[in-house]
Amino acid sequence: MGPFDYAQDRPENIDVILNGLDRYNPETTTTFQDYVMVQCENSAFYDCYANLALLKLYQFNPHLTRDETITNILVKALTVFPNPDFSLCLSLLPTHVLQKNTASAGDGSLAEAVQKLNSLNNLLAGADYTAFWEKLDSDDLYADLIADVSGFEDSMRVRIAVTVGQAVREVEKGLLESWLNLQGPEFDHFVQVFGWEIAGDSIKVPLNKENKAEGTIVTENVKFEQFGRLIKRAYEQPA
Amino acid sequence: MSYRNGDTAARAPADESDVEEEALVNDYREQVRYDGGLDELDRVTSLSGSGQDIHAQLAAAATPLEFQATLETKFASYDNYCSLFHFILNSDGPVDLEVPSYYWAWDVIDEFIYQFNSFCSYRQKIALKADNLEEIQLLRDNPNTWGCYSVLNVLYSLIQRSQISEQLAAMKRGEEGSLYAGEYGNRPLYKMLGYFSIIGLLRVHCLLGDFSLALKTLDDIELNKKAMFARVMAAHFTTYYYVGFSYMMMRRYADAIRMFSHILVYVSRTKNFQKNAQYDSITKKNDQMYALIAICVAFHPTRLDDTIHTALREKYGEQFNRLQRGGPEALPLYEELFRSACPKFIAPTPPDFDNPEINIDPVEHHLKVFMDEVKNNMWSPTVKSYLKLYTTMDLKKLAGFLEVEPDKLRCWLLVNKQRSRQVRWSEGGLLEGELINSSDLDYAMEGDLIHVSEAKVGRRLVDWYLRNLARTY
Repeated sequence: MGPFDYAQDRPENIDVILNGLDRYNPETTTTFQDYVMVQCENSAFYDCYANLALLKLYQFNPHLTRDETITNILVKALTVFPNPDFSLCLSLLPTHVLQKNTASAGDGSLAEAVQKLNSLNNLLAGADYTAFWEKLDSDDLYADLIADVSGFEDSMRVRIAVTVGQAVREVEKGLLESWLNLQGPEFDHFVQVFGWEIAGDSIKVPLNKENKAEGTIVTENVKFEQFGRLIKRAYEQPA
Repeated sequence: MSYRNGDTAARAPADESDVEEEALVNDYREQVRYDGGLDELDRVTSLSGSGQDIHAQLAAAATPLEFQATLETKFASYDNYCSLFHFILNSDGPVDLEVPSYYWAWDVIDEFIYQFNSFCSYRQKIALKADNLEEIQLLRDNPNTWGCYSVLNVLYSLIQRSQISEQLAAMKRGEEGSLYAGEYGNRPLYKMLGYFSIIGLLRVHCLLGDFSLALKTLDDIELNKKAMFARVMAAHFTTYYYVGFSYMMMRRYADAIRMFSHILVYVSRTKNFQKNAQYDSITKKNDQMYALIAICVAFHPTRLDDTIHTALREKYGEQFNRLQRGGPEALPLYEELFRSACPKFIAPTPPDFDNPEINIDPVEHHLKVFMDEVKNNMWSPTVKSYLKLYTTMDLKKLAGFLEVEPDKLRCWLLVNKQRSRQVRWSEGGLLEGELINSSDLDYAMEGDLIHVSEAKVGRRLVDWYLRNLARTY
């Protein structure tokens, strides 16, 4: 796992901006915005550190703010839950966006969109995947919000499956169907791609590092240096 | 040198002659102040004046403003900083200044950021309340005063002039830093200003809610007792507070605890040698860090250093227990502790005076983000306390004990499992780290059967062996 500021395949020009003072230059806003679009078009590509730099530019230059770019960044951040990316993005947004009284249903404001996405984020963070899909389906606004992010639903399924696979060795089929919001042949296919086994009414997840849940005994790591003083003193003793 | 949170008592009364000097300088600044003007640093005429002036300015720059300072005084103080930094940065070659003390550079950067911080908070409050029309007009007329770009400009310029990053990088490689210091960076004034500007950036980024950039800023600085900041107690303290807080907001609780513990242990060990104003002034921040460490330990149960543990019990005994129990009852407590211990977050741009109600205090915003995370986690302590008692357990049976729907319990189990995986630092920059299982409890579900395992700590023999061996000499 790379450090937080690392992104695989980050173009060099973005890297140069991020590591220099140009990250504060309002003229780089469009470069970052285009970069967000590239991330939206490619579901496997994501660069949180660069997106945060764009949100900071918006924070410093509110007149440059583009609401749909902000929501696209937030939607991308959902696809890497349970990482803290979504919260870190929220921290750079205008302070009123999470306040209940600043948005009313259907007013099309940034606050309304952010609050909607935040409720999705909370369902994911609470591992209530069934409710997540229901919520996503409950309002046309969600369809608008995720429209730019290609493969959003599949990304979420993969992410959910990964978190489930860490905690589960066997799970009831109906339950997994509702967690993944998939049925029938599509479900069977998805599960098989993951290498999971369908055994009648339940799905078996092969053992991995996380779902083994082995007891361990933490033992001391003894370093030679710890004995340094002792050995030194042994030499210091008068003959 | 004091830690301030808008708390008058914590601020040492300025020496009378300083006040006089400051008044003089402010008066002078008032007269040369332009209206508007985009390039803050250039807008004040550079100092060509007598040595008297510059010494007054040097002293004023490191002196806290009166708590009741008017907006005019705050504007004037800003101009004072601009002209001082302009003089230091843009004179013909490095300037020769005799600074009042070795920690003057820290005091200046500290006070500069403190005033920026309190100005932004004040402006936001005035806009939200919307009843002081006179001040609102004054603030509308001066949108660029204490602007975020100027403040960052000062800090980055000081860093670049001193080539401090290059110096630190060289020192990290084991080379002589001064070889890379250049004309400016070889002078203590520039070197110290540059160095403390890095700490200043850490603080500003954190105040603006940019926690990852805050940590990234310290890439060149190695956190250890030999670091330059460790020579100035307040700088040492500030660094660990903001690093720890940024880690906490990135949900790296183990790393946050490591930072807070380090500095709290250090303070408790050295407090007997530091019985002076410097020490008194950090008492409040000290308490804030205990509150933060209590929060982090509740998220991530850890064995603390004995000194810290005892102090934590003394300060937050009952509250600490409630945090660790979790559940909805603990929520107000998390809120209270976060509010009392977080930095005074700011919004960097002028507020929207035409729509007072949207100028929410940034502290409330960050509190909301943080509390969502607390809520998502609040059942983890309950789940863990039960699972500890078993090696296998039926999910429906456990749901019965907890009086909760089995489906709900399944969510809690998934959440707790995910949250026990945390990024933890082992080497390199502060943002680096490995994803590890940070809990002493692990489990997996096989249908409705929960398999529980525990990580046990084996006997620690080396310490015992060494101690006994030492006795035989």
